[in-house]
Amino acid sequence: MLSIKSLSFAFQHRPLFKEINFDLVPGKLVHLIGENGTGKSTFLSLIAGFRTPNEGSISYFNDKGEEVDDRRVYIEYLSAEANGLYTKMDATQNLTFWSKLRGHKYSTQQMVEELKKWGLGHPLVRTNFAVEKFSTGMKRRLALARLNLSACPCWLLDEPIYGLDTKGIDLFKSAILNHKESGGMAFIVSHDTYPLKELIDEKIEIGAK
Amino acid sequence: MNTIFKNQYYLILKHGIKMELADKERLISPILFATTMLILFAFGIGETSEDLIIKIFLAQTFLTLLFSLQITFARIFDPDEKDKVFQLLQCYPINHAAWFLGKYTLVILVGSLVLVPTMLLAGLLNHNPKAPLLTPEIFLIAFLALAGLASIGVLLSAMTLKASGREVLFPLIYFPLSTPVLLAAIQSSQVLLSGNNSDILWQWVGLLVCFDVIYVTLGILLFGELAGSE
Repeated sequence: MLSIKSLSFAFQHRPLFKEINFDLVPGKLVHLIGENGTGKSTFLSLIAGFRTPNEGSISYFNDKGEEVDDRRVYIEYLSAEANGLYTKMDATQNLTFWSKLRGHKYSTQQMVEELKKWGLGHPLVRTNFAVEKFSTGMKRRLALARLNLSACPCWLLDEPIYGLDTKGIDLFKSAILNHKESGGMAFIVSHDTYPLKELIDEKIEIGAK
Repeated sequence: MNTIFKNQYYLILKHGIKMELADKERLISPILFATTMLILFAFGIGETSEDLIIKIFLAQTFLTLLFSLQITFARIFDPDEKDKVFQLLQCYPINHAAWFLGKYTLVILVGSLVLVPTMLLAGLLNHNPKAPLLTPEIFLIAFLALAGLASIGVLLSAMTLKASGREVLFPLIYFPLSTPVLLAAIQSSQVLLSGNNSDILWQWVGLLVCFDVIYVTLGILLFGELAGSE
């Protein structure tokens, strides 16, 4: 469970949000809503640990209910404007690097299966083909494959369906559904709400008066 | 060494080597720069008397290394800067010391690929049949200098990653910080090649090693701050 207590944040003299209290529980997908510039992405960056809140706390409790010291072990983040991919590397090298960094030891077959799931399994796409040559949607699919392989219970998704085609959105929906069914949880920021409406369990408005 | 630390260190190092090999221009450009600079020096200075050869060799070599290594160091986080990779790495459970040491070792390896040809070429251009300039001890001193400079390089490269005017900021901080290392390296090399008092030589080498230890320790400690949250 991710517990947010009295969270407040301001950019110097410009307050973004105040006193946010929320518990994100396993199996739930929470949609962060609000107008442009109200601080939805900033809220995610606070949970990811890129920024320090002005006030309040963010705690992560494991399955046993114990508070963990390093919540980075349990959280995977997907940025809105970037995919976090090494552009000179191919898809397999990227996935291998990120999953090994989390201590996972996936076999080549498992990597191939994951890439196939996201439509990137063709040998001419997955190896010896630098990610910089991928289309926007392909890069997003690869970032989502990394997210799926992270095996983290808490996902922070900032505009995750940006650049995805209809099939890509369906694949994402299926991944989210599996994640929720396996006890995972997620915060999602997306202005394109229609494709996700049946998956969302709760909404929080950021920057509301 | 704990397993997670070791695995992350090797992973970052191995991945860094792959990234360097995938983008060879980054490696070739400092070597080309060093070669051009040494050739220009050789043309500019021309024939010199034997008593000046050692001084000219050291001045050329270390000045060229200072500038060409700066190019190498400043680019070490370039692959991590693209597509917000560095930001993603910040929210991964990475041991910051392993991350720093992985990058540091990578810089030493890449720096060696610049250092060795630079020294060989400088030695060739300042060839002295009576007293060889390229001794193993000179290489050892140059590697000790590289060890200190590399630590500053990694730290500053990470520090200036998000800074505007990075190209200006990096050398502004790098050059003053590299002075004690360069001074100790040049003085110890000069004492060594002149065959002077070995006590003085050890004093300068000792100072060089001290600065290496200080910079690597500072690197490990400060990198954690840089790689952590804002």
